[in-house]
Amino acid sequence: MREVTATILENVKIAEDIYSLTFYTEEVIPVRAGQFCMIGVGAHALRRPIAICKAEGERITVCYRLKGAGTRSLASDYKAGEKLSVLLPLGNGFALSENQKKIAIVGGGVGIFPLISAIREFADKKEIYAYMGFKSRGAVCMELEMQRAKKFVLATDDGSEGYHGTAVEAFMNEFDTVKPDAVLACGPTPMLRALKEATKDKGIPVYVSLEERMGCGIGACLVCVCGKKDGSRARVCKDGPVFEASEVEL
Amino acid sequence: MADLNVTLCGKELKNPVIPASGTFGFGREFNEIYDISILGGVCTKGLTLEPRIGNPVPRIAESRGVILNAVGLQNPGVEKFIAEDLEWLKSKTRVIANVAGSTLEDYAKICARLDGKVDFIELNISCPNVKCGGMAFGIRPESIKEVTAAAKKNLKQTPLIVKLSPNVESISANARAAEEGGADCISLVNTFTGMAIDIERRKPVIANNTGGVSGAGIKPIAVRMVYEAAQAVSIPVIGMGGITCAEDAIEFLMAGAVAVQVGTQNFTDTLACPKIIGGLKAWCEKHGVKKVSELTGALKLN
Repeated sequence: MREVTATILENVKIAEDIYSLTFYTEEVIPVRAGQFCMIGVGAHALRRPIAICKAEGERITVCYRLKGAGTRSLASDYKAGEKLSVLLPLGNGFALSENQKKIAIVGGGVGIFPLISAIREFADKKEIYAYMGFKSRGAVCMELEMQRAKKFVLATDDGSEGYHGTAVEAFMNEFDTVKPDAVLACGPTPMLRALKEATKDKGIPVYVSLEERMGCGIGACLVCVCGKKDGSRARVCKDGPVFEASEVEL
Repeated sequence: MADLNVTLCGKELKNPVIPASGTFGFGREFNEIYDISILGGVCTKGLTLEPRIGNPVPRIAESRGVILNAVGLQNPGVEKFIAEDLEWLKSKTRVIANVAGSTLEDYAKICARLDGKVDFIELNISCPNVKCGGMAFGIRPESIKEVTAAAKKNLKQTPLIVKLSPNVESISANARAAEEGGADCISLVNTFTGMAIDIERRKPVIANNTGGVSGAGIKPIAVRMVYEAAQAVSIPVIGMGGITCAEDAIEFLMAGAVAVQVGTQNFTDTLACPKIIGGLKAWCEKHGVKKVSELTGALKLN
């Protein structure tokens, strides 16, 4: 992990309220699927933690949703050619063992973006079944990336495209035919909760990537914690953001 | 070459820059980014006798120029710190153990446990984010004097720093109370109690409802309080509150601080402390200041 001054190559809108930001780092920084970065935005005291979507050599892409003052400033004030202070790579990321071959990937909302990094990393080595949920047709993006999966099911909450319902429902409909060895998931907490509940008796590991408001992003300040099964606290930024669902309170 | 050494309670620090409690853990994470042995010292995360799990999340929010936090003293307990982190941290730089408790007895016990093991103890009587103890001891001069004396009684070797809250009637009176209680040094300011509201949800952003306000926006108030406290006591003062750069640190030194602590800026810029140390050296050289310690109290009022 290190702090770099990156050069913005592109910062464009790719769907309703969603932007894709690609920046160039002077040297290749090795990034694992599911890791994230902290981006300094203007005069904001806190950096913004954003999942890494693609890492291609010196080019790194993150996608973010316009949510508050920070992301709005990132979208409007940062143009190609400008500099960006980035701390990366952060967090543990997704890890799969040799014997986990059939992998289901379940995502919703901005949770799809770290999962794209997982599809890119594992598509050649594993059988990937991807279930991605969006609010509606206007929110759909990065379909080409998702089509790297062996099978890709698109779901929309309003049924305007693909399966009418949630990504979790779309996944559970096919659970018995796919019989995955492991699940990788990221999305809103209610979605992860539903997934944890639906898979609790299936006997397979479900790895969820969590989101939390962060301070330092490197594990020092104990701001972004989640509850563990044993009553202790884990740091989302350093011990996570990926946890086995059965190990954490959602 | 400007000399950045400062002496605090008879102990030499290689420079006056210390990351503030709660923003730096026990130093291990930041040490992955830079060698923390360049720091004047490290102030640890607030330690208690027993482990604490802290407050619910969200624990942090942002407002213009400042942040709010309510971590609630989550920490692994003093024993785990001693067993796993203390020796490593001591091999790097001066160790200031920030300690907290719920009762006078807690403060006395944790001081006894750490006496002689760390370079300094910083008594946290100003944490605004825990229900009992913490700031409750740090508001009124009488209780400040009492808790300081209880801690000091158990410290035969390690100098005692008392960290003062800014959420008080008179910072001068409280600074004097710490000195009368036996403090060897005071540090200030801790965070200001504040609230940030998510208007969409009509709820406070932080789960604890209120949080401690820190960051660049509090600096002028902190500088004024450090000045007033330094005027009120004859023991050394460590200044903090919104320091983002060397020039900010120099303001605190001129206001009367011997050393400074840097908190929130460690989040904004992971390399904040190394940059401030470099900036101090450059400023001193440019201004013909041979020793940074000459700046302490150099303020001339209009």
